[in-house]
Amino acid sequence: MSNTLRPYLSAVRSTVTAAMCLENFSSQVVERHNKPEVEARVSSEVLLTPVVISRNENEKVLIEGSINSLRISIKVKQADEIERILCHKFTRFLMLRAESFFILRRKPVEGYDISFLVTNHHTETMYKHKLVDFIIQFMEEVDKEISEMKLSLNARARIVAESYLQQFS
Amino acid sequence: MTSPEVHQLVWGRPISCHAFNKDRTQVAICPNDNTVEIYQRNGSGWELTETLTGHDQLVTSIDWAPETNRIVTCSQDRNAYVWTWNPTEGKWGHSLVHLRINRAATYVRWSPKENKFAVASGARLISICYFEEENNWWGSKHIKKPIKSTILSLDWHPDNILLVAGSTDMKTRVFSAYIKGVDGKASNPVWGDKLPLHTLCGEFDNDGWVHSVAFSPSGNYVAWSSHNSVVSLASGPNNPVITIPTNALPIVSIIFASETSIIGVGHDCVPFLFAQRGGQWELVGKLDQGQKKSVAANSAFRVFQQMDSRAQQTNQDVELNTTHQNTITSVRPYAGYPDNVTKFSTSGVDGKLVIWDVLASGVAGLRI
Amino acid sequence: MSHRKINVDQYDDEDAFVDENQTASGPTADSAQVEADVNSRAAEVRNYLSRGDVAGAVAKALENPPAGRALQTVKDRNTATVMEALAAARSTDIINIVKGLSTQQMDILMKYIYRGMGSPELYNSAILLTWHEKATEVGGLGGIVRALTDRKTV
Repeated sequence: MSNTLRPYLSAVRSTVTAAMCLENFSSQVVERHNKPEVEARVSSEVLLTPVVISRNENEKVLIEGSINSLRISIKVKQADEIERILCHKFTRFLMLRAESFFILRRKPVEGYDISFLVTNHHTETMYKHKLVDFIIQFMEEVDKEISEMKLSLNARARIVAESYLQQFS
Repeated sequence: MTSPEVHQLVWGRPISCHAFNKDRTQVAICPNDNTVEIYQRNGSGWELTETLTGHDQLVTSIDWAPETNRIVTCSQDRNAYVWTWNPTEGKWGHSLVHLRINRAATYVRWSPKENKFAVASGARLISICYFEEENNWWGSKHIKKPIKSTILSLDWHPDNILLVAGSTDMKTRVFSAYIKGVDGKASNPVWGDKLPLHTLCGEFDNDGWVHSVAFSPSGNYVAWSSHNSVVSLASGPNNPVITIPTNALPIVSIIFASETSIIGVGHDCVPFLFAQRGGQWELVGKLDQGQKKSVAANSAFRVFQQMDSRAQQTNQDVELNTTHQNTITSVRPYAGYPDNVTKFSTSGVDGKLVIWDVLASGVAGLRI
Repeated sequence: MSHRKINVDQYDDEDAFVDENQTASGPTADSAQVEADVNSRAAEVRNYLSRGDVAGAVAKALENPPAGRALQTVKDRNTATVMEALAAARSTDIINIVKGLSTQQMDILMKYIYRGMGSPELYNSAILLTWHEKATEVGGLGGIVRALTDRKTV
């Protein structure tokens, strides 16, 4: 499986880089407002075609671009019930602390587990290529994190079961 | 090869736009907020001499008229100001322009004769501004149809009448900005002979937002760059459009360096040179070769691990090896304007103002 | 629906931007003609593939893609044709096939790669990821930017 991870991440990397060409753009619908167009969705001409990069049915990334903002939504691999619960708990934990991650969205886009919102203010205060690195690193780590959590959960369950069953031996 | 002059005018935030005065001893920049800073050249560096305040939202564009020494600024707060130097007080004084728009002003340029300027806006119109003697203020006339979205950039034809505009509705349009009582007779062999205000002289389709537009020094070519990483040229309303697709990220600002060459800057952090060679327009190359950093001896294992796990070719450092560290947002001619630009200046999101020498900047043996 | 959510501007704004892809017709309005075109192309691509000429099949499949909103089923059929051609290539041949394409064909290829990855339940993503990698290697980020900006979706 790992042989598709590298092309998957490199496709995400190049697409995010291409979509992260943002500029300051004031709303043309609401006077004196300046809001992420990808969220406001009031001017169709400043939105880019959304694209999906998928590794398989269960792992994909949705990239929606616009003139001043970019939304990246990730669907994390969830093979079974345990992984689904772990993934939900983990992403929820992160999203409750979204302000410390700057680009994390508090709610994922429907159908995905976690979403990032990058605006022109982020690309103005941070290096663009480091933002891309951050997202790629996140995608790598989240899989690793969940499989590690699953292992330790299973190990714990085994210990619990063993010590419980010991009283009957 | 001499390296370009780099001036880090502001730290940690973008320069949203910049404009030099005529003799290049002063520069006006906007440090990504509602003020405009004037810097005076001081030996090899720059010294802040005055901060112009008056706008209350981001200043989007500045233009400095070389002959009349007036600055015009426009902002997302829907206003534009004309600033004039008051020698008795030793300060810049401002007067409000009567724009009559209800969305952000996005771009402003003086006309070549400096008796008019055009302000682009998110209200889907262009205000052509001129001084009304009887009212003693800067008034405006609107060009409205058939603009369908925000105008991102403008450029004047050298004849002081025609204006090209690029907008987010993916069209490049050439308009007449003729103002009765200000301009003399209006007629142009290429773009049309009857030119009352808001005549649409040409309209060109694109596949992306038009970020930047420019007339060539003679005014016969109009060039524009769009968000699909293409630079296009047209030599008249009905002639076929020449397109130059690039493999790079979108180019957001262009100027003509001469009748046959274009400099474009954008999200790739380096200036690109386009030129007409042998009758064919093409991308010549990058004008910033970048400093090769000495790559620290990395263990081979780590290199491959990086490649495998992160899809990353080399261990990227925080800094890029280009002169600009982030998107370049604006390019202006510095010396040799209009038809033989030998030096040009760029400013970008990294807060740097860089002055480049066209011939010394790496494309050696280049003949334009 | 709450009255606050009604977009009142759409009722009095005749100058508003209209996305060509959102209108019923789109650039290729004659749907019968387009449909016949797509079907004959599918046959030709299969012809190329049966002869083992994958490069020819890919180039043929990328010709003149249908666009417009009304033609969704036709577009899907054409996508299937392109995917068939792409899937037939051996991973070692991909780079040479990509190098043989023109800039315009590369842009169309990129659009179809994203279209294919958009439905992972129908098309094999692993193959498309390899194509994406090679297409980026040859065409740079410009190709991706053009796939993102182009409103004539496939």
